[in-house]
Amino acid sequence: MRLLLVEDDRLLGDGLQSGLTQAGYAVDWVRDGEAAVAALATESFTALVLDLGLPRRDGLSVLSWLRARQDSTPVLILTARDQLEDKVRGLDLGADDYMLKPFDLDELTARLRALVRRAHGRPSPTLCAGSIVLDPATRRVTHGGDAIDLTLREFNLLQVLLENAGHVMSRRALEEQLYAWGDAVESNALEVHIHHLRKKLGNDVIRTVRGVGYAMDA
Amino acid sequence: MNNTAYSLRRRLIWLVTLAILGVGLLSTVVVYLRAHHEADELLDTQLAQVAETLLAIATGGKLDQFVDSGGEQSRRHAVPIAYEIWRETAGAPERITLSVGHGGFSLPVAAGYSNRVHRDKNWRLFSVRDPDSAYQVIVGQRHSARDRLARETGLSLLVPMLLILPLMALLVGWVVNRALRPVDALAQSVRALDPAALTPLDSASPLPQEIVPLRDAFNALLERVSVTLENERRFTADAAHELRTPLAALKIQAQVAQRAQPGGSQQHALGQVIAGVDRMTHLVEQLLTLARVEHATDTAPAAYDAAAALQVSCEPYQATAAQNRQTLERDADPGCTPLLGRTWFEIAVRNLFANAVHYAGPGARIRVTLRCGAGRARLTVCDDGPGLPPAARASLRARFARGETEAEGCGLGLSIVERIAQRSGARLTLEDGLPRADGGVGLAVCLDCPQALPPPADAGTGNPDAAG
Repeated sequence: MRLLLVEDDRLLGDGLQSGLTQAGYAVDWVRDGEAAVAALATESFTALVLDLGLPRRDGLSVLSWLRARQDSTPVLILTARDQLEDKVRGLDLGADDYMLKPFDLDELTARLRALVRRAHGRPSPTLCAGSIVLDPATRRVTHGGDAIDLTLREFNLLQVLLENAGHVMSRRALEEQLYAWGDAVESNALEVHIHHLRKKLGNDVIRTVRGVGYAMDA
Repeated sequence: MNNTAYSLRRRLIWLVTLAILGVGLLSTVVVYLRAHHEADELLDTQLAQVAETLLAIATGGKLDQFVDSGGEQSRRHAVPIAYEIWRETAGAPERITLSVGHGGFSLPVAAGYSNRVHRDKNWRLFSVRDPDSAYQVIVGQRHSARDRLARETGLSLLVPMLLILPLMALLVGWVVNRALRPVDALAQSVRALDPAALTPLDSASPLPQEIVPLRDAFNALLERVSVTLENERRFTADAAHELRTPLAALKIQAQVAQRAQPGGSQQHALGQVIAGVDRMTHLVEQLLTLARVEHATDTAPAAYDAAAALQVSCEPYQATAAQNRQTLERDADPGCTPLLGRTWFEIAVRNLFANAVHYAGPGARIRVTLRCGAGRARLTVCDDGPGLPPAARASLRARFARGETEAEGCGLGLSIVERIAQRSGARLTLEDGLPRADGGVGLAVCLDCPQALPPPADAGTGNPDAAG
């Protein structure tokens, strides 16, 4: 649930960071193409929100660099250029979606949810495991039909585990997905969130794989 | 310019000459045949007349020459000949014989050819005299009969000429059409041009020499128009980008404010909305200014106090300069006025100064000068900021170019000044600015324009007017 936002415009970048954070994402914001490449080279993101007209390195160049290294992180392009060939070029270079400025924050988050869903090859918009149902759009979780109250981090952690159900997620991978740069992370924060989730959903929901990480069953 | 070019003029001359030659040959043949026919008839008639004359002489002049004895078709060419034969006997000429019908000419008749009016008719006479035998023969023909013959012969030649004329016109028409076909083809390809994609006309296809310069000029025009169109397209795309990005920011910030809890983050977002509106306002102002200097004309370059204009134009940004702890030096040669209306001069100064304030960085020294000399006035805004390598200077002139900088701005200032320069015959250059403490140089932006008036003789330089 961690996004890399690449936008050189200070005002728009600031608004997007606030808006996407409100929507529950951990957002890292960089303002030029080179910084984007540096971030993508070292860390993994749930999705990339990419402006095209960037200083130092153009957005399309960042995109082709990303796809050249077989990175399938979903990419949503933001651009003010409405010419058809611009869109076609962006999509041909490996973008997954395209939004024309100015755009609506709700549409942006909906499209990001769809991108993440498609990236995991999941047909249904909701995530299920046993009697647990998580709806990313409404950010609600039910357990056997009862609504469960989760904090932002607990919800995001559960969603990451559900997205990767059947796979063991390492601590580092989970933390990368949960925290943006600059977020204060206590060393045992992840264990605390896991503990709370188990308390709210049942002890056997999340398995601990000793020395590796955590997993949920598909 | 290409070896397939041929001359339209030469081709027309050749083809028309050939056509005329062909028609001329044809008409010569026809005329020859007609003339041959006429001459045959004429000579036949004359043969008959000679025979009749001889017969008349042999019979002592009893035959009536003027009675049409032939009756054949060929006799229509008959030009009756009147004749008389005289003999001088004992000093007095005596008429031996004469043809019937003309009444006899009176002597003397000069030897050789002569004209005579006889009984109110014009006659052509020929007389020959044999001095030994003292015989004189006079023959004559009526001019009217000769004229009729000439008329008939001429008419019989006119008919074939009249028939040949349309053929000639057809041929010449065909020749001209054929020769002008490349012009039609060219017109066709111009008509087929797509206004959206102005591809130059094919310069490989053969064209007459006379048309080649036209096509080349047309292609050159197309290229200029394409460049203009491309600039406009790029400007539209850039403007779209520059307008939509702040709009997107405004919308997102407003949505964030709407959803945020009252307090910290909402205040922040609302502050950003206001900042966004300010930015949009500045952008719209700059776009309007650009449109104004693109299309409106400058105020009349009446005399004005350029030093005062300089001061007024710097004022809006002096507070920002002070915030940035920047030092401002301003200096104008007294009586120095550039040949630039006051409005445009102020717009130029304001934009160049604003650029320096925004991009020179905190603590920079900014110097604005107006110098006159050699009929030119030079406005210079220079600083000791980070400067710009010469290679990057050209790209900075593009509209919406901001350079590799963190500073906010819409990137239109220099475009506006450049446009003012273009429209007023001035020249905008980017040069090395003031030296920096670390050995580098800042940026200087210079606007060279013609000077409105030569400075007064006692004008000195200097008179610094420091501020800031």
